[in-house]
Amino acid sequence: MNWLSGMLIGLQEIREHKFRSFLTMLGVILGVASLLAMFALTAGIAASWRNTMEQLGGLERIGISDKQVSLEFADLAALSPGRTLADAEALRGIPHLVSHVAPEMQAGATLSASDGATVSARVTGTWPDNFTVSQHAMAAGRFLTDLDLQRGARVVVLGDAKVAELWPDEHGTDAEFLGRTITINGRPFAVVGILALYEREQDRLRREAAARGDKPPARLAMGGGRGGGRRDMFSWKNESVIVPLTTMYHEFRSGQADTPPLAMAKLDYLNFRVRDLTRFDETLAEVEKLLRGTRRGVDDYDFDTREDWFERMETSLRSTQLSGALIAGISLLVGGIGIANIMLASISQRVRELGVRLAVGARRRDVFLQILAESTAIGIIGGLLGLGAGVVLLELLGNLAPLESPPVIEPSAVLISVGFASAVGVLSGLYPAWRASRLDPIAALRYE
Amino acid sequence: MTSSPDAPPAVDLHDVRKIYGTGPDPVAALDGVSLRIDPGEFVAITGTSGSGKSTLMHLVGCLDTPTSGRVSVAGEDVSTAGSDRLARLRNRSIGFVFQAFNLLPRLDVQRNIELPLVYAGVSAAERRRRAAAAAAQVNLTDRLTHRPSQLSGGQCQRVAVARALVNDPALILADEPTGNLDSANGADVLRLLATLHAAGRTIVLVTHDPAVAARAARVVELSDGRVIKDAAT
Ligand SMILES: Nc1ncnc2c1ncn2[C@@H]1O[C@H](COP(=O)(O)OP(=O)(O)OP(=O)(O)O)[C@@H](O)[C@H]1O
Ligand SMILES: [Mg+2]
Repeated sequence: MNWLSGMLIGLQEIREHKFRSFLTMLGVILGVASLLAMFALTAGIAASWRNTMEQLGGLERIGISDKQVSLEFADLAALSPGRTLADAEALRGIPHLVSHVAPEMQAGATLSASDGATVSARVTGTWPDNFTVSQHAMAAGRFLTDLDLQRGARVVVLGDAKVAELWPDEHGTDAEFLGRTITINGRPFAVVGILALYEREQDRLRREAAARGDKPPARLAMGGGRGGGRRDMFSWKNESVIVPLTTMYHEFRSGQADTPPLAMAKLDYLNFRVRDLTRFDETLAEVEKLLRGTRRGVDDYDFDTREDWFERMETSLRSTQLSGALIAGISLLVGGIGIANIMLASISQRVRELGVRLAVGARRRDVFLQILAESTAIGIIGGLLGLGAGVVLLELLGNLAPLESPPVIEPSAVLISVGFASAVGVLSGLYPAWRASRLDPIAALRYE
Repeated sequence: MTSSPDAPPAVDLHDVRKIYGTGPDPVAALDGVSLRIDPGEFVAITGTSGSGKSTLMHLVGCLDTPTSGRVSVAGEDVSTAGSDRLARLRNRSIGFVFQAFNLLPRLDVQRNIELPLVYAGVSAAERRRRAAAAAAQVNLTDRLTHRPSQLSGGQCQRVAVARALVNDPALILADEPTGNLDSANGADVLRLLATLHAAGRTIVLVTHDPAVAARAARVVELSDGRVIKDAAT
């Protein structure tokens, strides 16, 4: 008698009592279904967060922000020029650690297209490296070049949403907008590039489905072809109006009485990209050393890393997982008690059978194994049915309410869920199996 | 059947007592039984109801152990054996036929007959072969795929006999095997036992029926847990 033949006997027993076995498995089925759904939902959220984060620049993107100087050094604060282009130039000096540097100056401005609309916008003056630091992608044309920067060229790169605002009645290809001239605060700029539409994975899929003519689910349907008008975490990228930093400075900043020279001009943002994430801390330390120089020792800067963001995300995911696991755990516990209960009932119905098995030579451990294998089989089958139920559950959830992030069923989640179900089967069979193995053969044979 | 004098007795009981209950009035189901059965004997055990016949069979069949005294089966002392050793003896050395058939209702004839082989670790193919051979011996080759509920009482008992002999045990114990059968079917089963005896097996048969007992070479009569008569017929 081995584990396999025990299983086979168990399977036959389950086949003989299909409905009873199904009821027995219900707890396990629900437990596994909720476990799987929980894993899939959180994995989906994690995946879309990761995707979002990639698009926003990834972990490698670090911002240098201002910090209130502590009170005891308040009188020194004036010594520091603050965040200036000098910082950016300094960061360029350590290319082995910092791969890209993107200083930004911003200004509110009025944009106007002679063949389109007049809109207000926030114009960003920056370096070509901004393309990589902000993880931009081009839909048409090109991004800023070093030559643009040197010459202070009047060129502009527009975000997808801005194109939609400027030319609301045109639905042509992105390339059609290249070479047009718009004015920014009255000065003409040539449109040299259009940025790709940034959106979440699921929004892209939906939009593409709509474009193909598939009927989108009513609730999920959303506005026109371009992503204009929608507010989400990508808005700042989609609404970009990007010009060379030098152009920005000369056209919109200088000329006022107290304007500092370009090198000392205040920046609104200064972001850079870490070359090698494994040298993250080393890079920060080196950058800090440089900043202490440019800031004349005043501690008025801080780092915005995505690590905090990542940690917050992980914590919130973990708490979601925990509550899901709690529900699943309770279902599995109830399922386990159900299995134990039915196994006890089943052995008292089968005392005589067990007596016969003992009489023809079954050892106690054979009987033990048989009952244990049977409860394990119930657990495993319940687990497999639970997987199916979990998939159906996810499908239902997706149909009832649009999910922010599509669930992702990972193989590890499947293994863990079925593993738990099997473990529940084994554990809940232990006591009934022990009871069965203690049967006295003669009493069992006499049992009516 | 003759047996060599130096072979150990098939069954040897020495002053065996089996007391049931530990309360104020315990029942001595067996009260000092000594009995020796040689290999190849055909012994009938008779006695009134409650005289201790089944209790005796259970001890000989290694389903139970005595309260005191010594029980040997095929030369092996089983009075103090552990449950695994008893199970092994039941499996390899003893075939048991019960009055109530005791077939497993959800297994077909083939699988019922195979049952002892399952616990002997015999491969599935070999089990099938030997079960078919045993079924042939009891004339049930055409019923292998039937379940017990589809068989007559006589056929059921023949399945039970096939199961008892499938492991080729030296000792076959039958506790009132004809008790639930009509005389024709009873005679069938007795004929089978006689054939097995003729093939060299030791048979111990419990019966109420003097006519049945008369078919054995030796009759042992119990009363109140004691042997009151032990004679060749
Ligand atoms: N488990 C038990 N607990 C208590 N007493 C028992 C038990 N088993 C048997 N006895 C008693 O032991 C005695 C012998 O019983 P046993 O079954 O051996 O009789 P038997 O000769 O087989 O009778 P029958 O011909 O009716 O089958 C009886 O008095 C019975 O009541
Ligand atoms: Mg009896």
